[in-house]
Amino acid sequence: MSADLADILTCDGLAIGHGSKVIMERLTFGLAPGKILAVVGPSGCGKSTLMRALGGLDEPLAGTSTLFGINLVTASSKDRAAVLRRTGFLFQGSALFSSLTLRENVEMPMREFLKAPQREIRQLAEYKLALVGLADAMDKLPSEISGGMAKRAGIARAIALDPEVIFLDEPNAGLDPLSSGRLDELILRIRESFGTTVVLVSHEVSSILRIADLCVYLDPDAGTMGAYAAPKTFLQAGNHAKAHAFFKQTV
Amino acid sequence: MTDGLMRVVIGGTWRLDDPLPTIAVKGDRVRIESSDLTFFDSSLPAWIFGNFKNVRQLDLGSLPPRLQSLVRIAEKASVNDHLGEVPGVLAQFGSWGMESAGSWGRSFNHIGNTFMGFARVLVGRAKVNWMDFALQLQTAGVDALPIVALLGFLTGLIMAYVGLIQLRQVGATVYVANLVSLAMTREMGALMTGVIACGRTSTAFASQLGSMNVSQETDALRALGLNPVEYLAVPRILAVTLMVPLLATFATFIGVFGGMIVACAGDLSIEQYLTQAVRAITFKSFLVGFIKSIAFGFIAAWAGCYRGSVAKRSALGVGEAATSAAVLGITLIVVSDAIFAVIFNLFDL
Repeated sequence: MSADLADILTCDGLAIGHGSKVIMERLTFGLAPGKILAVVGPSGCGKSTLMRALGGLDEPLAGTSTLFGINLVTASSKDRAAVLRRTGFLFQGSALFSSLTLRENVEMPMREFLKAPQREIRQLAEYKLALVGLADAMDKLPSEISGGMAKRAGIARAIALDPEVIFLDEPNAGLDPLSSGRLDELILRIRESFGTTVVLVSHEVSSILRIADLCVYLDPDAGTMGAYAAPKTFLQAGNHAKAHAFFKQTV
Repeated sequence: MTDGLMRVVIGGTWRLDDPLPTIAVKGDRVRIESSDLTFFDSSLPAWIFGNFKNVRQLDLGSLPPRLQSLVRIAEKASVNDHLGEVPGVLAQFGSWGMESAGSWGRSFNHIGNTFMGFARVLVGRAKVNWMDFALQLQTAGVDALPIVALLGFLTGLIMAYVGLIQLRQVGATVYVANLVSLAMTREMGALMTGVIACGRTSTAFASQLGSMNVSQETDALRALGLNPVEYLAVPRILAVTLMVPLLATFATFIGVFGGMIVACAGDLSIEQYLTQAVRAITFKSFLVGFIKSIAFGFIAAWAGCYRGSVAKRSALGVGEAATSAAVLGITLIVVSDAIFAVIFNLFDL
């Protein structure tokens, strides 16, 4: 369970919560580059809070977490910006900017961080949108597309700068099985093509079994992680009783 | 280029931060090869995809498999969820016509629902959020007193100033009190308060109801068997329709006072001004202003509630709803003021 020096992402004795209220504590694990980690657990157990803490969006209540070997809480603003430049986020509601078209949404981080001319930024954005299957919807506004398309557009924006780590919060939530399956394929394809490390929060056990290499099960009763292993091992009786029960109930 | 086949050789390092080369694609058969390709990120497949996506025959066979796959993925992945074709000009004109007709239909439907809601309130069958009603009496009424006072005072002051300059030329400065009192009572008190209600209350209602649309709260009300117009719009409209006449009356008196400051600083005494003002303000002119202010209050509140209820489900939609509520409200107030002028003239009011 302990973190390895080669890990791209680590947390050691991490405690997370809202305000001063601790939801989860004593979280210690690491993730090697190119792996897909799923964070699972019952609703309200702190999955999204953990993901935000790992990605440096929220400060943990105790313990340390590092991304690319840098602790985002103590890092200088320059180091922090450099780390965030190497990460991408997909939020639960996609969080696309509603006043911008899909192309403009994907172009936005490129404009902020790349010194490329408009023509090249446009070309890159079109490629990223084509990659997620939205080549013909580039000039649509977020309000004009379906939930599945919004998720894919959110992923296109998350991978705009070729991040080494992407954080996906409930990518399959609210999607039909077909769209959910397509999204799983897309995540696998991004990992295979770019070697991207993926941290995802999900309730969809079938999706986790399909794509995740490792799985952290958060146990709300114990207030800490109940298991950290390959998701398939949770299906076998005798292994990690609570995680096994969670997987068996939801499969 | 040989036998109509364009041969492109790529190599070196390709990074997002580096400038991409430009290329003029000739012919519809292209073969891309690599030589000493040391590193590439998504800038290279994006460059190939962007420059050669319209080529009929693109041969990537000699490229590294990962690069081939990244280009092919983008080509194949353009599968979309039921996106329509771009319509022609005639179809767009037709859509605009249909949309306009639909918009008018929705607005009349909302007005109808609002009056039905009022009728149900009168017979005691409406499910209305009375907490909202009380809150709006406070926020749309009492809280608006300072801004109404300021603008009413300045309006009276400006009218008296302009009036004095003109009336002094004919030696009739005493009539500045009549001018200010009559204008404030019949017209400006109600109009200014209506405009303030549009800028302050309409936009707030549009934002509130639009945000509720975004977060599906109005859907939740429907699911509970409640009519959103009755539950949300009726208490708001009722509160503003009651408060705007009171505010307009207040603005009228403050405006007359503002006029007195200027008039008395110049040619008139306080007694002269007040005597003339009391003579000028008849019950008829007060009634005209009061009736108008009731209508303006209803229009301002209805415009906000209507635009909020039809707002698009996005942050942009809420902003648009707030803007269009103010525009719709002010436009309808000015149009109805003109209609009132004709009607009151016909009835000799």
